[in-house]
Amino acid sequence: MANKKRIFWGVVVVVLVGAGAVFSGALDPSYSTTAVDKSAPSSQWLRRGKYLVQAADCAACHTAANGAPFAGGVPLDTPFGRIYGSNITPDKEHGIGKWTSADFYKALHDGLAPDHPLYPAMPYTSYRGLTRQDTDAMFAYLESLKAVPEPNKKNDFPFPYNMRTLMRGWNVLFLKNALPDASKGDSAQWVRGRYLANALGHCTECHTARGSLGQLNLDQTLAGGDLGLIHAPDITPKGLAARGWTPADLSQFLAHGIAPQGSAYGEMYTAFHHSLRYLSPADNKALVAYLTGDAPLAPVAMPKSGGQGQTLGAGRLHYLALCAGCHAANGRGKPNVSVAMQANSTLRDGDAHNLIAVMLGGIAAQKFTGDQAMQSMPGFAARLNDREMADLANYLRATWGGQRADVTPEMVAAIRK
Amino acid sequence: MSLAVKSLSMIINGKPVGPFDVPESLMMIDFLHEYAGLTGSRLGCGQGICHACVAILDHEDGTSEEIRTCITGALYFQGKKLRTVEAHARHDADGQVTLLSPVQQKFLEFYSFQCGYCTPGFVNAATVLVEKLQRQPIDKAQVETVVTNALNDHICRCTGYVRYHQAVKDLILETPGLTKGTDHGK
Repeated sequence: MANKKRIFWGVVVVVLVGAGAVFSGALDPSYSTTAVDKSAPSSQWLRRGKYLVQAADCAACHTAANGAPFAGGVPLDTPFGRIYGSNITPDKEHGIGKWTSADFYKALHDGLAPDHPLYPAMPYTSYRGLTRQDTDAMFAYLESLKAVPEPNKKNDFPFPYNMRTLMRGWNVLFLKNALPDASKGDSAQWVRGRYLANALGHCTECHTARGSLGQLNLDQTLAGGDLGLIHAPDITPKGLAARGWTPADLSQFLAHGIAPQGSAYGEMYTAFHHSLRYLSPADNKALVAYLTGDAPLAPVAMPKSGGQGQTLGAGRLHYLALCAGCHAANGRGKPNVSVAMQANSTLRDGDAHNLIAVMLGGIAAQKFTGDQAMQSMPGFAARLNDREMADLANYLRATWGGQRADVTPEMVAAIRK
Repeated sequence: MSLAVKSLSMIINGKPVGPFDVPESLMMIDFLHEYAGLTGSRLGCGQGICHACVAILDHEDGTSEEIRTCITGALYFQGKKLRTVEAHARHDADGQVTLLSPVQQKFLEFYSFQCGYCTPGFVNAATVLVEKLQRQPIDKAQVETVVTNALNDHICRCTGYVRYHQAVKDLILETPGLTKGTDHGK
C-alpha cells in the first residue's frame, strides 16, 4: 500500500516537473544567427524576401485596411476570442526591430517570439516547414522596410486563453514537423507545390477543420474549414474535381482571381489580392500540381438537376426578380459585373453555407488582375425571408449546381443570425 | 422563341397600373418606360451601380426604401406600391407642374445638377430621407453624416455632389420637425 502511494506521488512529481519545464520555457529551442544579421543584404536577397513574404501572405494579418504595410492591427475572430495581427515592421519598440534572424526563425518555426509564445492564429503550424534560408530572406526584407511606430492592439482573450505560456503545452500536443500530403505525387513540381501550399501559403490553416482546442484536424487536411462567415471549401483533389475544377482553371483562378467556376470572395479574395496573384508562373503551376496531384482527376461533369416542382418555380421567380438583372436570366453572368451561375463552384458545393451567406450579406466590389472587376453584390437579408431564401438557394443549386434542392428555411435562419 | 409572360398589376404614384402581361425577365425600368409610360426614371449603367434608376418602394407600415429599377425584375413589384420621380410635383388638370416638391425646389435653388441624368435618383433618395426624418427626427449634429450616407451610392458626373449635398442639408435644417434639439445642443 505504501509502495503504491509512493509510485503515485512519484508520477505526480514527474508530471509536474515535466509540465513546469515545458511551461517555463526551459525546453524552448534556440538557434544561431546567420550572415543576414551581420551584413546588409543584397538587392537580389531582398527581392527574394519580398516574394516570399507575399507568397506567405503576411499582409493578410499584419497589414490593416488603410493601415501602414505590416504595421499590424488586423482583427481575427477565433472561437477563443479576438486576436490582432502584430506590428512586424522594424520599429524597435512596437515591431521586430530588435529581433535577430534566429528570433524570426524561432517565431515561424516554433511559435515562440523573444518575449512570449505566439498563438497559433499565427500559422507557425504551417510556417514550421519553411527553410531557414527562406525565413532569413523574409526577415531581411521585413527589416529593410520603413519602421512604423504603431503600438500593437491588445488581444481580447478571456481566462485561461490569455495565458500565453499554455501555448507551449499546445505546441507539445499539436505542433507537427510536417503536414500530411493532400494529394499523390513525387515530381519536382509537386514537391515545390507542397512547400508552397503546406508551408508558405499556409492553405491548411483555413481549408482544414479544427478541433475543440483550435488544432488542425490533419486527417481531414484541406477538406474544408469553417472559420469565419465564409467557409473555406474542400480543396482536396477530389473536392476540386467534384466542383468542376481543372488544373488550367485553377491556375487561372490563383493568378487572376476569376475562373469559369467563379471569382475569389471572402478571405480568399484577400489571399488572392495580397499573395496568390504574385506567384511566379512556375510556382503557380507547382501549387496547382500539388492541389490536383501528379495525376489530376477528371472534373466531374455537371449532374442533371437534382430537384423539381413548386419550390423551384418559386425560387426561379425570386431569381428573375432580384438576381437576373446582373447574373442574367440564363445564369451566364456578365463580364466585369457578375460571375456566371452556370456550373459555379459555390453552387456545386454540397454544403450550401457559402451560397446562403453570400445571398444574405452580399459581396463588396472587387478588383482583379488585368483591369477586371466584379461589381458589389447587395445582400438580400432584408428583402427575402428564410423560406424565400431557401427557395432561391434551391433553384440555384438544382438548376446550375447539380445539387439537390435540400436547403431549408432553418438552415437560412441559422446563418442569418 | 416566345417569351414566357406573367400578369403584373401594381400601384404606381398612387394609381392602379395594369394588369399587363409582361415577359418574366423584364426589368422594372423597362416596364416603367415601355408599359407604364413613365419615362422620368433614367437608365444609366444598367448594373445597379449609378442609382439613376432609383424609385421609391412604399411599404404597408408607412416606411419606404429606395429600389434600383434597372436590376429589379418588374414582376417583383406585383401588388406593391411604387413612386417614381413623376410622383413628387403637383400638377394641374392639364398636366402642367404647379408646385415642385421641397426637395425638387431646393435642388433648383442650389443649382444641384447640370445635365440632370442622375437627378431622378437623387430626388428619390432625398425624398426617402426627408420622409424618414419626419418619422424619426435626428440631432442637428448628425445631419451632415446622415445626408452623406443617404446620397453616397448615387453617382453624378457633372456637379460633383457638393450642391446636392448642400441642398438636402439645407432643406433638413430649415424644415421644422426633421431635427431635434437646438443649435447649441451638439
